[in-house]
Amino acid sequence: MRPTPAPITIYVARDILTMNPMQASATHVAVRDGRILGVGDLAELALWGEYTLDTRFADCVLLPGLIEGHCHLKEGGMWDMEYLGWFDRCNPWGQTVKGLHSMEAVVQRLIEIDQRMQQSGAAPDKPLLAWGFDPIYFGNERMTVEHLDRASTTRPIVIAHANGHLMNVNSCMLHIAEIDEDIEVEGVVKFKEGPRKGHPTGELQEPAAMFLVLRHVGDAGLLSPMDETGMLNFARLANMQGVTTATDLVNTLSEADCAVLESALSKDECCVRILPAFKAFHGTHGAVQGAEHVKTMTRRNTDKLRYGLVKMMLDGSIQGFSSRMRWPGHFNGAPNGIWVTAPAQYEADFEIYHRAGLHIHTHTNGDEASLAAIDAIERVLTRAPRPDHRHTLQHAQMVDAPMFRRMASLGLCVNLFANHLWYWGDQHYEMTMGPDRANRLDACGSALAANVPLAIHSDAPVTPLGPLFTAWCAANRITPKGRVLGEKERLSVMQALHAITLGAAWTLKMDHEIGSIETGKRADFCVLRDHPLTLGAEKLKDARVWGTVLGGQVFPAHTHTT
Amino acid sequence: MSNAVSPATIPLTVVGGFLGTGKTSLITHWLQQARGQRIAVLVNDFGELNIDAELLSTRNSDTIALSNGCVCCQIGGDLSLALLQVLNNPDPFDAIVIEASGVSDPWPIAQIALADKRLSLHGVLVVVDVQALRQHIGDPLLQDSLMRQLRAADLLVANKTDLCDPRELQDCIHWLRQTLGPVPCVNSQHGQLPLTLLQSDWMAEPLTDSLSAHVCTQHCNHDHAGEHHHAANHGALFISDCRSPESVFHTDWLRKQLKQTPTWVMRLKGWVRTHEHGWSEIQFAGRHASIRRARHVPAQARVLTISQCSSHSSQALRNWLDTVFEEREMSP
Repeated sequence: MRPTPAPITIYVARDILTMNPMQASATHVAVRDGRILGVGDLAELALWGEYTLDTRFADCVLLPGLIEGHCHLKEGGMWDMEYLGWFDRCNPWGQTVKGLHSMEAVVQRLIEIDQRMQQSGAAPDKPLLAWGFDPIYFGNERMTVEHLDRASTTRPIVIAHANGHLMNVNSCMLHIAEIDEDIEVEGVVKFKEGPRKGHPTGELQEPAAMFLVLRHVGDAGLLSPMDETGMLNFARLANMQGVTTATDLVNTLSEADCAVLESALSKDECCVRILPAFKAFHGTHGAVQGAEHVKTMTRRNTDKLRYGLVKMMLDGSIQGFSSRMRWPGHFNGAPNGIWVTAPAQYEADFEIYHRAGLHIHTHTNGDEASLAAIDAIERVLTRAPRPDHRHTLQHAQMVDAPMFRRMASLGLCVNLFANHLWYWGDQHYEMTMGPDRANRLDACGSALAANVPLAIHSDAPVTPLGPLFTAWCAANRITPKGRVLGEKERLSVMQALHAITLGAAWTLKMDHEIGSIETGKRADFCVLRDHPLTLGAEKLKDARVWGTVLGGQVFPAHTHTT
Repeated sequence: MSNAVSPATIPLTVVGGFLGTGKTSLITHWLQQARGQRIAVLVNDFGELNIDAELLSTRNSDTIALSNGCVCCQIGGDLSLALLQVLNNPDPFDAIVIEASGVSDPWPIAQIALADKRLSLHGVLVVVDVQALRQHIGDPLLQDSLMRQLRAADLLVANKTDLCDPRELQDCIHWLRQTLGPVPCVNSQHGQLPLTLLQSDWMAEPLTDSLSAHVCTQHCNHDHAGEHHHAANHGALFISDCRSPESVFHTDWLRKQLKQTPTWVMRLKGWVRTHEHGWSEIQFAGRHASIRRARHVPAQARVLTISQCSSHSSQALRNWLDTVFEEREMSP
């Protein structure tokens, strides 16, 4: 006797944008065993036999579950700390934390947080840790202990800046960390005049100065590894943004980190598929062992957890002036940035991971770094050709048309950091690279023109997770000051949606499983209340997310605010 | 602030230099010759580390413990975490050495020792492959990164001198001097530098004109028939001086003097009294000098100096120290 097939559920929707060009739109999708059985109209799907018609999406629009090809699980792990950024940001409980547009607003927020901590019975010396503060938006005004001491003189306060290179602390923290006028390193900023002349301002720059603080509060959040709570928070954020698959694009894949991944993802409520990428920017001898480790880990793959990606890193960040740029260099004359990995070592390590059959994603921000990667990969592929490798340049923000054409001929993919156009577009135009190169920043149009497979990303928590917002950035290329950076590089709405679904799936070698709504693929959907094609490019970011479907299981988003 | 005696600072040394210049050999050599000093070493990876089997005590994925009390830790991407692990060891180490990665600037790392009151900066060593230097510097992608490294050096180690002819070596040293100005430079083969350079307390050594701490290895060319290390006479590499200046100094004045330290002075440390801080710890290495409030009250003022040895340097060292540290009338 044949076993009874699993029950069929047919969802009806206002529209289904399948991303399958052979059947771009439909009204119904049938799901069985967590997979898509068919797409079409009800009469067609009913031919499969007995079914349950689920009408809860009748007023909604279904998209393939959105795919974030470059983010970090830390997006969910930041929320033990307080967010103090310039832009509004959604927390895992569906609340919008308002952005802070003046130093006074930052101080007031800190006073409130301190009071809340007191009322909740937190120890008076429990550190107040905050993240996301970005003085780049405050002009010349610097934060000092004079601001932070207004919030508390008894509770240590530590504010990590968005760029990761600076922090501000209050007098109490300075005292605990023994940072005083005697310390003579450049990174401990001191008052230049006034009654406190010669004393530290509380601004600490670069690793040495920050180390003094991390020594005391590192365990309390800033250095802490990912835990299960953080992962569940990540899943909540993903769910609210319509994301069903995401990467964790730097992971040590240590036993402890893998245990957290595996334990969290075994729970239904952790409603996201995760592809962790092995951190392969190590010493000169780590690659052979690293490649073996990643290959071994792939045996532990599940539906929701896929090991196998490798992350390499060549340079720093553009807004931190640490990316490697070609001539003419930084617009403001700052010296060229740093290599995180020497190009020669990158090539040698790349070859080892490549020959091991692994799939490599390389961080390159400046164009000199991207070119070094392309040159190295070309030599490796000449020595060791491999079909369908899909190695991907991540960020690749300054790649121009000639480089894209070379990438196409090498079979390379690109995942461009489209959110930069909004978050730092003005700074790039005015400070880091100047008008011409800012106008081809994250050149999505050029990538497609050269036939380079394209994804776009947020790099959350660097910018918030939200592929529809990322798509909006790529489709409009607008900055907070109202500039349009390179009109011709804009994507159409459909191209932008492709880049956050099937395009991203391709760069992860998952396009046969996810990324479009067609028979045989996993039943992963992003459920929208608004039709993105009706909203159009300008309002794409405003599309309201109802929730997601992951492997046929429905997850409404927690969007109720309190 | 209590006046209780707090532990002395742990000297931190940073070893920089491009890939393949011999940083790891140098560090391995020190680890194996530690002679009672407990050294903690932070390296980028264990791959190149070649430690004698009889010295290995325990090993896990991130730490190798040696039977002589030293440990070697793999940095694994986060230097802060690795350094905290070493600093939080209940049994404090005598010295900490950090290997900077092949393209990184060692100076930001070295500043940790200037900032953290539990540490003192013992100096930045930058290892140069004398044969490959020209080629490395000629690479347009690397030139600026390598110059940043070289400019951070308190002591240049011209390594692999056995692999190049004397002319090449001379050219290389000349170029370094022309480009970087007066920075002390020592030659080495296989990264073998005397442990003296790491020691925090040179008084532990007999105070003579010869602090040469050469230890023979299989790479030495002299006769090992006596199977003894004492047989070889490689000549003194370094000379030292110790004195107890009674003066009370002005930090600005002292800082100015330290900035003009002759190039053959490799290191100077000690405790003197200053008008600004009372007992103060002074440190000088290569191009970096620091003066800061002492963490403990020393029994007496003390200034230890180590310098490279040459025919005239012994007297020159004394003369220079006399002018800086001898009794004087301090003008306010």
